[in-house]
Amino acid sequence: MSFSNPFAASASRPGYGEIVISLLPPATPVLKTLSYQYPLKLIAPDAIPLPDARNTDAPTLIHTVFLLTYGGGLVAGDTVHLNVTLDPTTKLILLTQGSTKIFKTPSRDVVSGQRTNVDFTLNAALCYLPDPVQPFEQSAFEQVQVYNLKESQGSMCVCDWVCEGRSARGEKWSFYKYTSKNEVWSVTKEGKKRLLLRDNLILDESGKVASSLVDRMDGLGVFGTIIIRGPLFESLGKYFMDEFQLLPRIGGRKWDTGTEEEELSLEEVQRLARQKQEASDGLVWSAASIRGFVLVKFGAKEVEGAKIWISHMLKSEGSVERSFGERALHCLK
Amino acid sequence: MTSTDTNQQSLQDEIADLERQLKDAKSRLKTAPLALPSTTPPNDVALHALLLLSDSALPLGSFAFSSGLESYLAHHRPSPPTSSQVSSFHTFFRLSLSTLAGTALPYVLAAYREPNLIERLDNDLDASTPCTVARRASVAQGRALLAVWDRSFRTHYSSDSPTNGYPTPIDALTEFQSLIRSSSSYGAEFQVNAHLAPLWGLITRVLRVPLPDAAYLFLFSHARTVISAAVRASVLGPYQAQAILASKELQERIRSLMEEMWERKVEDAGQTVPVMDLWVGRHEKLYSRIFNS
Repeated sequence: MSFSNPFAASASRPGYGEIVISLLPPATPVLKTLSYQYPLKLIAPDAIPLPDARNTDAPTLIHTVFLLTYGGGLVAGDTVHLNVTLDPTTKLILLTQGSTKIFKTPSRDVVSGQRTNVDFTLNAALCYLPDPVQPFEQSAFEQVQVYNLKESQGSMCVCDWVCEGRSARGEKWSFYKYTSKNEVWSVTKEGKKRLLLRDNLILDESGKVASSLVDRMDGLGVFGTIIIRGPLFESLGKYFMDEFQLLPRIGGRKWDTGTEEEELSLEEVQRLARQKQEASDGLVWSAASIRGFVLVKFGAKEVEGAKIWISHMLKSEGSVERSFGERALHCLK
Repeated sequence: MTSTDTNQQSLQDEIADLERQLKDAKSRLKTAPLALPSTTPPNDVALHALLLLSDSALPLGSFAFSSGLESYLAHHRPSPPTSSQVSSFHTFFRLSLSTLAGTALPYVLAAYREPNLIERLDNDLDASTPCTVARRASVAQGRALLAVWDRSFRTHYSSDSPTNGYPTPIDALTEFQSLIRSSSSYGAEFQVNAHLAPLWGLITRVLRVPLPDAAYLFLFSHARTVISAAVRASVLGPYQAQAILASKELQERIRSLMEEMWERKVEDAGQTVPVMDLWVGRHEKLYSRIFNS
């Protein structure tokens, strides 16, 4: 391990933060670096031992970092940069405490932003299930998340979602601009990058021809994307794909009169209950298996309905809780 | 023979109409900020290529795709089932065109401007297409366009390429084709796909269609495909459909979408109508389907 000079000039700049999880031989992951500057704030509670320690080769501690901003949001012009480095086999849970609020900007050109960069190495894993971003009326925000996977390796389960604003005050997609770009790159040993996935959402009210944001959102109050990849989340991805296949057909009719009561398994009963809940929350979703990812898109009338749905899906499959612990689902409560 | 006469007449009308469009596009070209070098070929060469590409008989199989219209209509059933879906159609039509312009048009423009990037553009567009249904539709049409080039156009365009040492757009195209044939250059994760948008840009460049015309036709063809799907889904009548295609509103919309996207980098291409991904993605969940997307 390299010796770091405690008196070295601080390299940190306003709004910059850094998280490094490295591996202390033989197999103890440690939070080597945790630095941040206003307006960004990072809080790392004690690492939690892995609930399922059957695999003795794997690290036994799961680190968690809460991503906060002073005032619970970003004021116009604020920009936050976060760099995360995950050493081989380490795992990290990233969380927020409440939705990230984007406050009103004096002019649509004053844009606040967040840039997150995560470097994965062999078998590193990230579980990033934050609260949704909440852009207030007349706000402008751009965020970019870049995930670099060394040799395409690494496991990730990342949710990126946004809601219509302060629903209680009647705000409905009434911000100037919200864009969120997720990029996943494969990086070769020589440092060559190739794009694996790009998911770019552009909600810009000033577009010349597109209809108003409310019209474009078609009655939804929240919209999100879940990106799933890697060995640790393989079964989760498969679960989303299977459940998508099992959704009832749209516009289908039930031809039998349903006189015979079929014996349903517990799983089937839970599925039917979830589908009923989806219908009442106006939740629509789709899943696609592409380029080694499972990409889930969902929308719902309200944040609450979406939380119920994501949490149901993740809990009934179970692997996120098994490999990261219950805390990973903190924001979905 | 009266029937051939009327045929002749309608063909002449069509040509006159297209010539007007071309002239219109040419005048736009002059005002465009990233204008082409002045080596544009004589009018009729570009016109001829434009006619070939705008022909609905061009075997791209576009008629098999509704680009999410079928799914959209299933998600927005009118409350009395007999009432008209025309207003629903108009909403969808507008959103669909903006989506295509936002996600695919920058790739058309980029491949036209830099043919040598075709392989990377194809990969990046594939990485940016989040749903299987849309991906299938784009690749099917892209491969079909490549087949048309290979079997029908290639022999007539290969000879007159200027060779001054630099790789020509045709070279880029040929290399891309051989990549597809070997198709194992980067392993399964980075398969070469042949998406429609970058190939449209590259092939229109090879056929020496001016870029504004190529972009206009790209959006126009999409509009035509969606409208024709609406006719077959019994949402519009054939005359209504032609009226929408002919409308000033559509012309203005295509023009302003082109303007908005003209200098947009492919890195910043993205989905402006997020629900579109849901509608297109859930097409597979329809109980009955007449289209592939």
